[in-house]
Amino acid sequence: MESISDIPQPRSLTGVFNELLIRPLAFLDRARNGGQASPFRMIAVSTLCYALYGAAAGFFQGGDQILVAALKAPMIILFTLLLCLPSLYVFSAVAGAEWTRRSFLAVLAGFAGTLALVLLALLPINWLFSSSSRHLSSATIIQFFLWLIALGLAWRFLGKGLQATGARGGMVLWLLLFCVVSLQAATVLRPVLSRKPGGAVFVYGKKSFLEHFGDTFREGETAR
Amino acid sequence: MIDERVAIPGWELLHRVDALLAEVVAGRSLMRHWVRLCVAMSLGAAIYGAVLGTWHGAQLAFYDALKLPLVLLLTSALTVGFAWTAAVVLGLPLRFGQVAVLTFLALAAGSLMLASLAPVALFFNLSAPTPGPSARTAHNLLYLLHTALVGGCGLGGTVALWKAMRRLDAPLRTLRAVYAVWVAAFALVGGEVAWALRPFVGSVYMPVVFLRPDALDGNVYEFIFTDILPHLASWL
Repeated sequence: MESISDIPQPRSLTGVFNELLIRPLAFLDRARNGGQASPFRMIAVSTLCYALYGAAAGFFQGGDQILVAALKAPMIILFTLLLCLPSLYVFSAVAGAEWTRRSFLAVLAGFAGTLALVLLALLPINWLFSSSSRHLSSATIIQFFLWLIALGLAWRFLGKGLQATGARGGMVLWLLLFCVVSLQAATVLRPVLSRKPGGAVFVYGKKSFLEHFGDTFREGETAR
Repeated sequence: MIDERVAIPGWELLHRVDALLAEVVAGRSLMRHWVRLCVAMSLGAAIYGAVLGTWHGAQLAFYDALKLPLVLLLTSALTVGFAWTAAVVLGLPLRFGQVAVLTFLALAAGSLMLASLAPVALFFNLSAPTPGPSARTAHNLLYLLHTALVGGCGLGGTVALWKAMRRLDAPLRTLRAVYAVWVAAFALVGGEVAWALRPFVGSVYMPVVFLRPDALDGNVYEFIFTDILPHLASWL
């Protein structure tokens, strides 16, 4: 029987992403066995997918907000990943994971890649709802649910990857942390979906994501 | 390479925990391990403490960097005698040194987890409105966030404790009973020690101090039962 480490590295980038779907652990396995894996390339391409997803969300308002949302979506996700990196390492190590630099990077890139794939798959749905929604509050709720779906499916890779490195139990809490941090990152980098005509691309002012959501739901009825 | 890294406090908790646990179970080098765990615990808690106080400025950050390790050290010191006695009474005849290392192991693991959350906590502190009477909601949200993170990491740390206890030669039922008693003691005493050493997040009404004048006037459980629960009940 052919073991995962015997499977050759896919030549094209689409091959790498396809492999993530059908053999999610092959990428990690190659990295752990000293084979060729390109985590940074995967993160770079994932960033492009996040931008496309953001652009689709920007159709809620249309115009130059499409570009603004395309810029901000990768910023939100990458900033969240950066902030949650130390906790992923320490939590999983406490849960029993045995990390090397290569295997940690591979799991991280695999998670980012799976997230990108799911977001790309959700892109048409995102575009449909963003283009047709009338109220900012309903568009925000839809974005939130799509994000939860994407995170839940990306867990498929992360959970398996962590298990393969020896981590046992409790790591789903890290995903919850990642979700909460991403909501705050989106608040700091607001406005993402809609802004007033001539309004600033970034609004400065300190705010918690709960307050921001509350404000969004109060103002949302007249936003579009 | 690995030997050099082992000199970093906490490294063995993340990467050589099996070897560490084997030594603890065998009762070898207990004092050395205890000291190293104390250092790891204090460093981890100091990093998170420094971040915890940043919402109120550098002074409270400095105080918290001292006080959070103190909370953990005092909690361990106050519970270790009881933990050893309870273990022996429940049928787990461990040496005092083994109990000391095991209980500190849980708190050290929790501290490392807290330190790894420092970037996240700092991000939330920096995104919150500046302290003042109008920032009461922000204060309450930060308070809840930090309580959840500290409590969660404390529980996470007991995972390391449970992994260590599973290696002990004793019936699972006894191990579970001892583990439950130890964790309950940590939670009860830790909550009160933290309450006595308040403020950590900092009040929006009162000035920053190292310790409140009424630090030992009333305990956290009185506060919960005479203040918080009646307040919640009035909402229902």
